[in-house]
Amino acid sequence: MSEVKEVLELSHAVRRAWIRSTRFKVGAALSSFVLLLAILGPLVAPYPSEGMGAVPPTAAERTGRPPSFEFPMGTDNLGRDVLSRVLMGARLALIQITTVVAASLAIGLVVGVLAAYYRGPIEVALNYLTEVFLALPAIVMALALRLALGQGFHTLLFSLILSWWPWYARASFVYARSVVEMDYVLLARLAGVPDRVVLLRHVLWNILQPVLVQAITDLGSVLLEASAINFLGLGLKPDEPDWGIIAQNGFKYITSMPWISLFPGLFILLTALGFSLLGDALREELDPRLRRRWKLWF
Amino acid sequence: MLKGIQVTVRDGERVAVIGESGSGKTTLLKVMLGILPPVSGRVRVLGHEIYRLPHRQRWKVTSQVGYVPQEPARALNPRLKIRDIVMEPLERFKLTERERDERVKEAIRMVQLHESILDYYPTQLSGGMMQRALIARAIVHDPEILLLDEPTSALDVSIQAQIINLLDAIQRKLECSMITVTHDLPVAQYLADRAVLLHKGTIVEDAPFEELIRSPKSEFAKTLIRSYTLTASGLIRSVD
Amino acid sequence: MVLAVASRNLSIGYEELDSVVWAVKNVSLEIERGSAFCLAGESGCGKSTLGSAIAGILPPHAVTKGVLLVNGKSVINGEVRDYEGVRGRRVTYIPQNPGSSLSPYLKIGGQFYHVLKSVHGLEKREAFAKARDYLRKVELNPDDVLERYPHELSGGMQQRAAIALALSTGAELLVADEPTSALDAHLRLQIVELLRKLREENGLTLIFISHDLLLASALCEKSAVMYAGRIVEIGDTRRIMEAPAHPYTRMLIGAIPRLGDKRPLRSYPGEPPRPGEEKVGCPFYDRCPSSIAKCTREKPSLVPVGDGRYVECWLYA
Repeated sequence: MSEVKEVLELSHAVRRAWIRSTRFKVGAALSSFVLLLAILGPLVAPYPSEGMGAVPPTAAERTGRPPSFEFPMGTDNLGRDVLSRVLMGARLALIQITTVVAASLAIGLVVGVLAAYYRGPIEVALNYLTEVFLALPAIVMALALRLALGQGFHTLLFSLILSWWPWYARASFVYARSVVEMDYVLLARLAGVPDRVVLLRHVLWNILQPVLVQAITDLGSVLLEASAINFLGLGLKPDEPDWGIIAQNGFKYITSMPWISLFPGLFILLTALGFSLLGDALREELDPRLRRRWKLWF
Repeated sequence: MLKGIQVTVRDGERVAVIGESGSGKTTLLKVMLGILPPVSGRVRVLGHEIYRLPHRQRWKVTSQVGYVPQEPARALNPRLKIRDIVMEPLERFKLTERERDERVKEAIRMVQLHESILDYYPTQLSGGMMQRALIARAIVHDPEILLLDEPTSALDVSIQAQIINLLDAIQRKLECSMITVTHDLPVAQYLADRAVLLHKGTIVEDAPFEELIRSPKSEFAKTLIRSYTLTASGLIRSVD
Repeated sequence: MVLAVASRNLSIGYEELDSVVWAVKNVSLEIERGSAFCLAGESGCGKSTLGSAIAGILPPHAVTKGVLLVNGKSVINGEVRDYEGVRGRRVTYIPQNPGSSLSPYLKIGGQFYHVLKSVHGLEKREAFAKARDYLRKVELNPDDVLERYPHELSGGMQQRAAIALALSTGAELLVADEPTSALDAHLRLQIVELLRKLREENGLTLIFISHDLLLASALCEKSAVMYAGRIVEIGDTRRIMEAPAHPYTRMLIGAIPRLGDKRPLRSYPGEPPRPGEEKVGCPFYDRCPSSIAKCTREKPSLVPVGDGRYVECWLYA
């Protein structure tokens, strides 16, 4: 049996990326760090209740303290420990982005695949729908939904999902279109394989990988958008420990107490960067055409 | 694309449809598979006019045709193991797990591949092996008709010879009709007894091979035959 | 007498991320000026790489060992490659797919102008006049072709135009990499005839890379059969076809389906080794019907078997 050719499996790509790519290591490190904070944060936070927004009785004495040994990230204008708030925020951040990306991915895949497979009027209708939603920016939708549904997690969720799903729909459509032309799809249909099986086994299974990798990269971008929406007060309620909201709280005091906005902002940056690098490195491993023959230090 | 085609293939016959690019051979293939309905006239496969049947019923006819498409790389789902690929045509038939397994192994043996290949993925195989896997899939359900689209065009000469010998043996064993669509006249000669020459959408010759080579009627056939028989300056005698 | 091409222990490989894949291994050959030479073999045997080396178009990540001389000038010496004055001037190249040697954005006339301006410094009027000459040489009507884009021409015409373009550099050595493989059968012989005519008229040295020995025999006096990066047989083409010495050549020739001849095709099980697969002993050992014990242990070297023929096989050593 001749030697095994390179298998373009995600798991193999992950292993290769781990060995070869510095970006992957950095991205993976950052992402895992944030994940760890999300899981352990609530347990480790020195003042969990403050983290969730409650104002402690002793607050008045310690408003606006800069970072110190006792409060490594300082206290905010109400006296709450910023570190605790940031730690609690990690979990909230990850919940938001994973829900949004997962839901958008699911919707986008279904729309894109069905449009590519059935062609004809279905294709036209679904593509038109995709185009319409592509044109709507998340913030505008958040504004509208805020008025309609009020503030809260649901508003954030819907506005982001509604603006992100069309990207996955379009990507899925493009990939699915070339897969549908493949002879193995024809062979399956000739053999009498029912449509839903063909869609799952042949079409979906073959477009999942690149779309999934894109989704990983998008986790970072979604975080930035979600933080922006929350910052503007269009999403989560003001006391929630969301990084965007914390930053918003500290905005008024940016000159006097910069640490209130600085730390959540920093964490947003690092998280977004981490997922971005991770996704990028994976994409490079999986798509041989993008692979470079020379490497910069990173 | 195709005009006034009239062809009949009988049970057990080996026919080659020979044409160059743009001759309409791909269109003819699609018509034979029931993918493309004729604008006028009738097409019957195993007695059925496929395109008149509702989509759901078509597989009953098409499943009796073993189709081997042109490029193996596009015809094998890279995410499935060879076992699943070869087994797919059997799903619609009421067979037990063991029967299915047996048939798959039998098919793999018939294409002279080792059973261990069933656990491999298409990307791990060479061109010749992929072609064999495709043939295995085409014969696993014991088809009445074997339809091959350029079965050897992408292969090196020595592998081509292997596949030609293989297909010859398979056709004899299965006793099915075999239709080979190709542009390569000598290859066609090995895989068929009768040649149907297609040129610019019409049939210009339909005769047994010996007759075609001895006395070609059309200009196209003459040119084609000439290009495969080198002139005195380069004529090579048979070697052995 | 200066040879058109001479190589000594030439090896060419490609750099992968963590290793080198050797495509050509230890090749020594001589090609005389004015002759037509065929590099024959199946995919992965190294013939294209060797052809690219002669034409001077090896990619940057190629690695070389040994010596290659073109028209007496050393173009490869160990790791150093220097094609100054040779590439595009003394040697020219025709790829398999005519579409890829012709720029899709320029009309044919424009392509000639580009080449003639950069090689010979000709101005537009002279360039176009010369272009007409060359197009006529390849039996194309200049009026039909000069003002057209490549995609407007048929495959056969594209290939002829590509040949004309290659000739217009004034090179005396032409490397044609499977020039007929992408064409329909009835065009193949025409192109081969054209190449033969051009060679006679212009005294070119022709290196014809092909997997089709039968076709090559109509054009090339001498051939080298390659397998797994090595030359396994080299000598007079017609004699190789009539009485192949190396078992692989015998298999190759016996595998060619010939019209009117229905004897069973010769096929041995197995496949050529992939580039990068290194084996001890003769690379053909696992498929060879005449192998002996020595074949597993040592690689044979080229030995003369009379008539100017050389074979790399223990059966003859």
